[in-house]
Amino acid sequence: MPAPHGWETERRRAFLCGILPALAVLTLVTLGPVLYLAVSSLTPLNPTIPGSGWDFSQPWHNYSAALSDTRFLLSVWVQIKLSAVTVVGQLAIGLGLALLLDTNSRFMEAIRTGFLLPMVLPPIVVAVVWKIIYTPDISPMHRLLEWVGLPVHSLLANGDTALWAVAVADTWEWFPFTMLMMLAALQMVPKEPLEAAAIDGASRTQMFWYVRLPYIRHTLSVTALFRLIDSIKAFPLIYVLTDGGPGRATEVTNYYAFVQTFNFSYWGYGSAVATLLIAGVLALSWIILRAGGRGAGGDHVW
Amino acid sequence: MPADAARVATMSGKRHTWISNASAALLLLLLLSPLLWMLQMSFRPADDVIADELLFRPTLENYTSLWTGNFPASFLNSVVTSSVSTVLSLLLGVPAAYSLARFRFRGDRHVALWILATRMAPPIAFTIPFFLAFRFVGLSDTLTGLILIYLTFNLALVVWTMRSFFEGVPRSLEEAAWIDGCGVWSTFLRVVLPLSTPGLAATGILCFILSWNDFFFALILTRTHAMTSPVAIVNFMQYEGWEWGKIAAGGTMVMLPVVAFTVLVRTWLVRGLMAGAVKE
Repeated sequence: MPAPHGWETERRRAFLCGILPALAVLTLVTLGPVLYLAVSSLTPLNPTIPGSGWDFSQPWHNYSAALSDTRFLLSVWVQIKLSAVTVVGQLAIGLGLALLLDTNSRFMEAIRTGFLLPMVLPPIVVAVVWKIIYTPDISPMHRLLEWVGLPVHSLLANGDTALWAVAVADTWEWFPFTMLMMLAALQMVPKEPLEAAAIDGASRTQMFWYVRLPYIRHTLSVTALFRLIDSIKAFPLIYVLTDGGPGRATEVTNYYAFVQTFNFSYWGYGSAVATLLIAGVLALSWIILRAGGRGAGGDHVW
Repeated sequence: MPADAARVATMSGKRHTWISNASAALLLLLLLSPLLWMLQMSFRPADDVIADELLFRPTLENYTSLWTGNFPASFLNSVVTSSVSTVLSLLLGVPAAYSLARFRFRGDRHVALWILATRMAPPIAFTIPFFLAFRFVGLSDTLTGLILIYLTFNLALVVWTMRSFFEGVPRSLEEAAWIDGCGVWSTFLRVVLPLSTPGLAATGILCFILSWNDFFFALILTRTHAMTSPVAIVNFMQYEGWEWGKIAAGGTMVMLPVVAFTVLVRTWLVRGLMAGAVKE
């Protein structure tokens, strides 16, 4: 048996060798780019203007411009509306389905796999699926509505309905995530209080409100925060369904940063908007950690 | 409880199960109907896409026209970038995950936080710097460039899920091997890794799916040569007019591997999908 001390050092060295390559690559592909992004947000970077990437004469110009840019502020408002509706919708559907599917029969497990599909599908396929549903010429939904005598015009071409049409598609794509989280939480609810409540003659609604809900409340809020953060990334659906339109009705902040950078070549300004997005995401992640960092069934998230 | 009451209880329980099974199946059909609609569209003859009849003579013409165009090349690109990126992230991430699981480093909580932040960050934040850097070093529109950028999310995922997996493998076996004079990494290869194949397979599949599903990075960082199939589908829409049958067929092709994996390794996938939100 090796001497304990020498063995400890050797072990330590071996583990360091295991972790260093991954950390180096992770630094190169994540930390480096984000630092560069923050730096270029302080410049008027524009690939068509040489030297613009090193012009730090007005470092805060992009940020002060953003604050008075009505199109940017509108994109934040569109994002807030989209996030609020989709997160609430996903939580409601996910929780409802989880309560329905919370039995461990073989049949239900097969059904659960089916419900998982929208979330694992390539986002572009989700976008194609809903593009078909929302294109009046070929849409089964429009045909059905016409058949019952309630014909509607294209929802995506109408500035008042486009965002809600996108929200429906986004809710459809991500309800499986909330469903999975809620199922995991429900399976952790201890059986004794439920049995006690049943003996006392509690109705199913009462059992939910007074027994299950207090146990899953925490997972519910962590799930909501996760979906809230992810909703900021919405891109393929908007790209395919509306391209931010009609007008600016569905232009969320992420999409606006994309348009500014890759359509208008305002790279410095796009970097500033992206940096603000990261700041928002970090603030929300911090709330997750502050919330006690506990996931399903009281497990620590971190 | 009297026997009668018990029997009544199980009978009503049975009826209850039957009702909830049936309603769950119906709901599934309803919720997946938009997807099923795309599926049937991919088998419709081109001149019949707009027709009203629900019944039609299924045809493979959409798939054959897809397969004679540029689509196979982009499909192959997708296969190559996703598999290579998966293998690379496993090679780099698995040893790191094991080290993090077995050894307390100073600052290992910061590493965990960093990984959470990577999962949360909007892709546009990485795309802007990568686009410029790739132009500089000549990686624009190359498979290598895409493989590299897929490491941003895959590596973090591998480290995170495999770490929690290794934490669940009992240490006594390794300690026995160490006492026999086996080094840390040969013990890992001979003892720990064989026990971890299910977790490894699931993590690998999840990496593959995440890279396979990527649209944003491929849209911005590729043009023609390294174009992946999700971007190819969007190009059908934008440049080749609205050939709905072909678009639906392309969508079906792109979702096939993902659906197959989901059905095959569901339970393991579920753990991976919730990674970051629930620590096990």
